[in-house]
Amino acid sequence: MFKLIRGELYRVLHKKSLYMYFGILTLGYVLLAIMRSGGFNNNSVVGDASNLFYLTPALVGGFLFSAIYTDDLNSKNLITLIGYGLRKSNIVIVKMILTAFFVTVFFGLLPLFHSAIYIGFGYTVAASQLAAVYALSVKYLLTTLVYIGISSIVVYGSQRPTFSFVSYILLAFGVIGNLLAMAAHMMNLNISDYLISGITDQINVGMLGDGVPLLPIIEYAAYIIISSTLATIIFNKKEMEF
Amino acid sequence: MILQTHELTKKYGEFHALNAVSMTVQQGDIYGLVGRNGAGKTTFFKCVMGLAALTGGTLEINGETANLNAARQQMGFMITPSFFPYLNAKENLEYLCRVKGINEIGKVKWLLKIVGLTGVKKPFKAFSLGMKQRLGIAGALLTSPPIVVLDEPVNGLDPQGIIDIREVIKTVHTATGATFLISSHILAELDLVATRFGFIEQGVLLKEISHKELHEQTKKSLVVEVGHVQKAQAVLQSLQIEIASVNNNRLTLNTHLDKSNEIARALVGRGVELYDLHRQETTLEDYFIRLIGGGKHV
Repeated sequence: MFKLIRGELYRVLHKKSLYMYFGILTLGYVLLAIMRSGGFNNNSVVGDASNLFYLTPALVGGFLFSAIYTDDLNSKNLITLIGYGLRKSNIVIVKMILTAFFVTVFFGLLPLFHSAIYIGFGYTVAASQLAAVYALSVKYLLTTLVYIGISSIVVYGSQRPTFSFVSYILLAFGVIGNLLAMAAHMMNLNISDYLISGITDQINVGMLGDGVPLLPIIEYAAYIIISSTLATIIFNKKEMEF
Repeated sequence: MILQTHELTKKYGEFHALNAVSMTVQQGDIYGLVGRNGAGKTTFFKCVMGLAALTGGTLEINGETANLNAARQQMGFMITPSFFPYLNAKENLEYLCRVKGINEIGKVKWLLKIVGLTGVKKPFKAFSLGMKQRLGIAGALLTSPPIVVLDEPVNGLDPQGIIDIREVIKTVHTATGATFLISSHILAELDLVATRFGFIEQGVLLKEISHKELHEQTKKSLVVEVGHVQKAQAVLQSLQIEIASVNNNRLTLNTHLDKSNEIARALVGRGVELYDLHRQETTLEDYFIRLIGGGKHV
């Protein structure tokens, strides 16, 4: 498993578009900050982060999902890995580890970058504000991780890169969540607290307040465990198509 | 034997993609699996490589029957060249080295040299079909595996590409003694490299035969087409030449193949009308067509 992690890290870090994409995102972020800098003040750093970070599951998660998962389908690499005698369950786990690694790096640096821009414009960012921005970043990190976990079921089940990617994007923009909430509402049910957006909201609020309650953590873990288990079961049952 | 299947069966619904295939590949063989498109060659490889679950039968790889995944780690294979389009040849092989835990310095360099891709910097997506196939073979040889499985390695290649791949296979076979299991529907090409053949049709392994046995069964003959068969038979018998078969006004001779000049002169000299006299060799393709019942192209 460690060998596969090494190989995958090598591969993703040698993907030139990774650097180009994040270069463009960085540039876009800076340009956006310049355009919006008139509205900046010492208290706007958290609210501003809230507005901008909302797009990260789609923009950043989408790229990482593509690099870690759908590239394997496009290049038929899963055939190589299985033909090498790697267990399918190990492949599923390694992909989740890689996803966790990359989203952690990104969402770990994002609050620092966001705050640095504010500081660059001459504003101060208090420690409590930075903590709030970090709490927000953690919310989207967790959201991205689950969205990718759920979409991995589509990857292994359909083995179609475009279909898998569209599924991820629909999740990341909240389309599927909203449809589920609407369907539940028509049946007089309120499921918003059990959707991943609701769970991560509770975690976010808990991080900023008296601590994160156990229930949303358990619910979150259930999302990860169930999606990974389903992905493994489906992958094991599904024959490789080529 | 290094690879053996016993009654290997693969069904998709009611369709038998493989039907009780019992195959034996000996160590050091270059085993040519011959069959038409859709005959079951790739399905067979998929089963061997663990890419498709068996419906029935058993598989033994290098003496291992229980932990086949471990045995597969000792195999190299190319079913379709599967590489990342944005990485170049060296990067793709280095990725595979990491996945397989190979730390041998110079292995990638050596393989790139063998397959003629040294110094190629462009990404895989810009490769020609021949380059892709050659990189696929390099990937299959990365661990110096005792068994190498290649599915249609010359498919779609130009004549030079075919020669290149043939040379690579021969070079590696000589240098490492690896066993190759190769499928192709370009039979003339397979005939040039394989030491043993298996013929598969509609999921059934019809026959296994060594290169030597095959060529004994497909040896050359001399075909003589004459105006008067009985007269020609008398002439040939007087020359003590055995006639293998007579079909209408065609006589087939399996001996005296180097005496066509004398035979022609004797026949014409004794008043036999000679319409045609030529050497004929049954090719691997002829043999295969005959085996599957004739009339169908490979």
